[in-house]
Amino acid sequence: MTISTDFDTRRGAWTLRNVGPMLLENRSQVLLYGAALVMVVAFSIASPVFFSADNFLNIGRQTTLVSIIAVGMTFVIISGQIDISVASNVALSGMVAAIAMQQFGDFWGIGAAAGILCGMAVGLVNGIVTAVWRVPSFLVTLGMLGIARGTALLLTDAKPVLINDPNYYAIFGEGSILGIPAPVLWTIVALAIGAVLLHGTRFGRRVYATGGNAVAARYSGINTVRTTIVAFLIVGALAGLAALVLTARFHAARPDVASGLELDVIAAVILGGTSLFGGRGLIFGTLMGSLIIGILNNGLVLLGVNSAAQLVIKGIIIIVAVGISNKR
Amino acid sequence: MTMDESSSGHATDDHGDLVTIRGLVKSFGPVLALKSVDFTLRPGEVHALLGENGAGKSTLIKILAGVQQSDGGTMEVLGQPWNARNTGESRDAGISVVYQELSLIPDLSVAANLTLGRESLNPVRIIRRRRDERAIGKYLEGLGVDLDPKARVSALPFAYRQMAEICKALLGEVKVLVLDEPTSALSKGEEAVLFDAVRRVTAAGVGVIYVTHRLDEVFQLSDRVTVLRDGSSVATFNTAETNMRELVSTIVGPGKSAVRDEIEREVAADGDSATPTTEDAAIAFVQAASRPVRLELAHVSNSRLNDVSLTLHQGEIHGLAGQVGSGRTEILETIFGVRHAKRGTVTLDGKEERFRRSDQAIRAGIAMVPEDRHIEGLVLDHPLDWNLTMPLVGTTFGLLPIGRAAVKKAAEAAVKRFAIRTHSVHTPASQLSGGNQQKIVFGRWSSPTPKVLLLDEPTAGVDVGSREEIYRIIRDIADSGTTVIVVSSDLVELMLISQRISVVHDGSIVNTVERSELDDTRDLHILIQESSSSLKESA
Repeated sequence: MTISTDFDTRRGAWTLRNVGPMLLENRSQVLLYGAALVMVVAFSIASPVFFSADNFLNIGRQTTLVSIIAVGMTFVIISGQIDISVASNVALSGMVAAIAMQQFGDFWGIGAAAGILCGMAVGLVNGIVTAVWRVPSFLVTLGMLGIARGTALLLTDAKPVLINDPNYYAIFGEGSILGIPAPVLWTIVALAIGAVLLHGTRFGRRVYATGGNAVAARYSGINTVRTTIVAFLIVGALAGLAALVLTARFHAARPDVASGLELDVIAAVILGGTSLFGGRGLIFGTLMGSLIIGILNNGLVLLGVNSAAQLVIKGIIIIVAVGISNKR
Repeated sequence: MTMDESSSGHATDDHGDLVTIRGLVKSFGPVLALKSVDFTLRPGEVHALLGENGAGKSTLIKILAGVQQSDGGTMEVLGQPWNARNTGESRDAGISVVYQELSLIPDLSVAANLTLGRESLNPVRIIRRRRDERAIGKYLEGLGVDLDPKARVSALPFAYRQMAEICKALLGEVKVLVLDEPTSALSKGEEAVLFDAVRRVTAAGVGVIYVTHRLDEVFQLSDRVTVLRDGSSVATFNTAETNMRELVSTIVGPGKSAVRDEIEREVAADGDSATPTTEDAAIAFVQAASRPVRLELAHVSNSRLNDVSLTLHQGEIHGLAGQVGSGRTEILETIFGVRHAKRGTVTLDGKEERFRRSDQAIRAGIAMVPEDRHIEGLVLDHPLDWNLTMPLVGTTFGLLPIGRAAVKKAAEAAVKRFAIRTHSVHTPASQLSGGNQQKIVFGRWSSPTPKVLLLDEPTAGVDVGSREEIYRIIRDIADSGTTVIVVSSDLVELMLISQRISVVHDGSIVNTVERSELDDTRDLHILIQESSSSLKESA
């Protein structure tokens, strides 16, 4: 140990530079990216279609739902909580968006506002019950998983609702800018806002402190209750955005969509190096985690692995990843 | 050495002793925890064990219980040479220890706890609950203890939980019962229940070793008392033949006062003429008292506090002394908004405040350094600068950019001011030494300087060198006008830094003295003991 005059003088860019040491310290993360690379090589050899620009765009498109929600989930998990109701929230928010347009006019803005507000409302309830009543978030969101899915089914007696605004399809689904499809653009927007918020603002630091040691955070003047609620609001809003992307793809909202999506989302965040115990993690890691999940889904489909076996494989990967991150 | 000839002579003649210890030695590496301990325990007596923190009480008990092994000296239990290698052996020999932390499972019944691992089973190995309950009921009745074997432990008042613990410790053939500070978390009524149980146990011929910090208990309960100091047994008294002043003198030690020692050492260490003597403390207090009032508590009460009033001036350092669990920490927590005043008022700079949360108190200029830095103070995984700037990040608008340049500057300034030894502000807090970690928790409040700084055991687990730096920091902060309240169990520390000291007992401030009225820690020690015992008599 030396006396503290010799400071680290690296200038801080707002993402990797300052938080980078936390990531790189975690050697298991490097291991994971290595494994992802091996996976890409293996799929490329096994399937002639896998290694192509078209397929990569496919992966990007298929991963959007996971990536968008995973950005919000990163906030929740870093703050020391978890949200397993996100898939149900997607279904409910999509239904609410479609019904709002059916009721108040076929204008995309109405649907967008209704969908995102619905997602935020679900997040708000999750956040308040977790932070104010101090119910473990696993239980709160387990309950909400049922409530949101059930409400989505009850709204129309399980019938789908059609969406009739072509602009809606374009903005959230079929349009593109410079050849980049709209869903991918929305993913980039979510990642960028998430990264700035988490790594660039004081609120982001509060999220880390709340998950790192909530008692110490409180003794240092951080309102951990509000921080936790806002984290749940963010994941709710992004579940709402994901619902818009999903319904634009189908031109309709269905109450039974996205079931099991929470597994992919949580897996993406954990694979990205975010600690399930809170206080550690990066948006960049979440992006990598989502891509790994996307590559895995895509590759397994191309290899003709059936969906049941896919679930098994993903489940195993989550457990192994958490085991590795636990060892540190 | 002031060996009490009559009692120790008598003890060694008596061959019916349960425990005989002579010249016991125990070292941890280069540190001698026990230098030479003589101790005897007779059947049916309560033998109190006194001494300051670190005098060797815990080590002695652990050796007796077989948790640790001695390095020299002789021990006999029931006339047999004794060196237990593990707790099982000591248990088999009839030595049973009740530690401060309770070992009962809260969600099980008293009977289930007392039969744990020895439940009676029916042929298909299902527990015969009713039979166990009857057996335990009979056992408790035999001890004369009023406990329902079916009661869930978590539903019992604390004293009864402790009684259940003692009853559990007495299961089987117990000759020696060791109680380690059993009353530290008990109310006065609960103490009576416990004392009753202890008397019943001794009536049955069991010898009780009673470790405590509270002298009034020694006089209420014990037959003899042995004082340990710096790893040696310095005296054994018959309780009836001694008094509080004699015991305190024996505990603190002869010769120069510890405070003066400490001061001399400090002066030698940094040659700082600002180090306070009694006279300096008096001057500092007069100066502080002439400054405006900063913080006033008037008749503050809540579930843990009872009519607490305090008036503190700018730049004053005020010590809170008292036993663990007396309500010292709760006073700080109530000022800080972690607890709420049910009655009474807290006034800061003339404005009445009702903080609902700590972040409101922090915005108003009140800062707290909590007792356990690992649990309450630091995010160990996070780098130094993150830990240092938590108040800034927490109390300003959340969507503001972190402001890396400002954060880094603030962190570096704190590192420099508090002489935190690290090679970078990006080092995780977990990699620093205890003293440096504590300086981070202090450093968090270096700018802007708070109006009131609350310190709970600021040097617990901190090495001597860092301790002096922390004292310097505290004086520095007070010199800039901050009012400091220090809770400490270290009387030397209180004498060194505070200008006034209040003694807290049972949620009330029972006495406030100026530092200059005290000559050395002995006076403070006696003040604390008298405050707690006189209150008990009047109650």
